[in-house]
Amino acid sequence: MTPALEALQKALKQLPGIGYRSAERIALHLLVEKPGRLPELVAALESAARSVRRCTVCGNLAEEEHCAVCADERRRTGQVCVVEYVPDLAAIERSGAYRGRYHVLHGKLSPIRGVAPEDLNLAALLRRIESGETTEVILALSNDVEGEATCHYLTERLPKAGVKVTRIGFGLPSGGGVLYADAVTLRSALEARRDYS
Amino acid sequence: MRFSRVTLQGFRNLPLAEVALVGKRTFLCGANAQGKTNFLEALGYVTALRSFRGAESRALLGLGVTQAGLGYTVEHETFGESRLTITLTPQDRVVEWEHGKVTRLADFIGKFPTVAFSSQDNQFLRGAPSLRRRWLDLTLAAMDGAYLTALQRYTRAVAERNMLLKQGGRDAGALEAFEHELAAHAVTLVARRTVGIAELGELFRAAHARLVPEGEQAGLVYAPDTAVTAPAEFAALLVNCRTRDTLLKTTERGPHRDDLELVLNGRPAKQFASEGQQRCLVIALRLAQAAYFRAKGGVTPVLLSDDVLGELDPGRREKFWASLEGEPQVIATGTSLPADAAGWQVLTVEAGGVQ
Ligand SMILES: [Zn+2]
Repeated sequence: MTPALEALQKALKQLPGIGYRSAERIALHLLVEKPGRLPELVAALESAARSVRRCTVCGNLAEEEHCAVCADERRRTGQVCVVEYVPDLAAIERSGAYRGRYHVLHGKLSPIRGVAPEDLNLAALLRRIESGETTEVILALSNDVEGEATCHYLTERLPKAGVKVTRIGFGLPSGGGVLYADAVTLRSALEARRDYS
Repeated sequence: MRFSRVTLQGFRNLPLAEVALVGKRTFLCGANAQGKTNFLEALGYVTALRSFRGAESRALLGLGVTQAGLGYTVEHETFGESRLTITLTPQDRVVEWEHGKVTRLADFIGKFPTVAFSSQDNQFLRGAPSLRRRWLDLTLAAMDGAYLTALQRYTRAVAERNMLLKQGGRDAGALEAFEHELAAHAVTLVARRTVGIAELGELFRAAHARLVPEGEQAGLVYAPDTAVTAPAEFAALLVNCRTRDTLLKTTERGPHRDDLELVLNGRPAKQFASEGQQRCLVIALRLAQAAYFRAKGGVTPVLLSDDVLGELDPGRREKFWASLEGEPQVIATGTSLPADAAGWQVLTVEAGGVQ
């Protein structure tokens, strides 16, 4: 054990899903077993950190000002599907069941976890909807207490006329979000969306 | 249902107990503090993954033990012969049932009903409302998944609102969002408690009548903190309470403050019932719980009697036995054998050993 190795391990351990053992394995793998992989990893980290940012329209990850979905002119502009996190968006994309646009909140309201309305990507959504084009907002947030409270908070702030608000049907695992649902379940959840009020 | 085999490892003071239960009546005999109640507690745990003594799960681990195992073989009206194991660690509890791990409490709670008669039940009348609410919640949730969901979500929404109050209650928008969610579940809880208490009250009255001389009539009265029927009405009440709740840093009104009153001949039993009458009331309440499980779930619960039947005089004890419905399995403890020991499987409990 050296101080630098210890520091590396400590940094790895802070990553999600990585415990003490895995951190040790990854550190030794990079330094001892396959040191040749290290430059590649460092370059990838630096490049990603430099170029990946949030789409200015929807909050999805992007390398340009707009993400791939917002830049795609074939996508329907009238529908905006609101999700908590980027992986939720990716899950819906994989299902192939949706051709509209997205809005990523980057979380949901939870005072217990220290998440307040101003911590969410909400203001951009409201501006986006007030500006016109949107005819339907699809709420694809998880159906736990925090997800429901966020849906309510958002709906209270949407224009009362001109925009239809729907909630995806929940055959989804109770309390869970869209992330854990398979493509078939997601497709039927989207098809079974109901008017939300 | 009937327990036919129980294996406990590292549970409280029981290092290892492997017991085959024969017939419908088992008596655990032994001096105090040898482990009789611990054994019953382990059996009762299977119903809702809760101790009937109100102990936290981590308190159930033996001294210096990092993992406890509870294994049950059960003959069940619906599932036939079933094998169950519960593994307790300081952080976690894992239930395995036939096909694999049980991931949601809602899929498991109440499937294996037991009802415990404990001497602690005497606190039921005079103790804090939380004791009676806990009993009510467990009884209703065990038979009604929607009730459990509403209760869990209500509790979570209250916790989120309380956090906003602790932060100064300034974010009216966030308060409103969680109050909206909270109010919906509050109304569900009040509605289901109203129905549930009426049904339980009827069973309670009948069970009590079979135990006592004619002329005494028992009843259950629901005392909701807020008897609202519409979510909007409750949400409006919460808005009115915001200033006061912010000062107190907690949500003061709502079903988490409900109570349940036992009455005897129309009067509050905690003030007007004698000690003997109170004992009959709490036993009748447990019998009502058993009858409720049987009626709603179609499964006759196992009765666990912790030193309680010994407290009854012979006349009442006889009435107790005569009042049991559906020939339940009874597992009882005591320091000396019951007078009618014939027909009982007798096990001796000594220094954490059961044989
Ligand atoms: Zn975008």
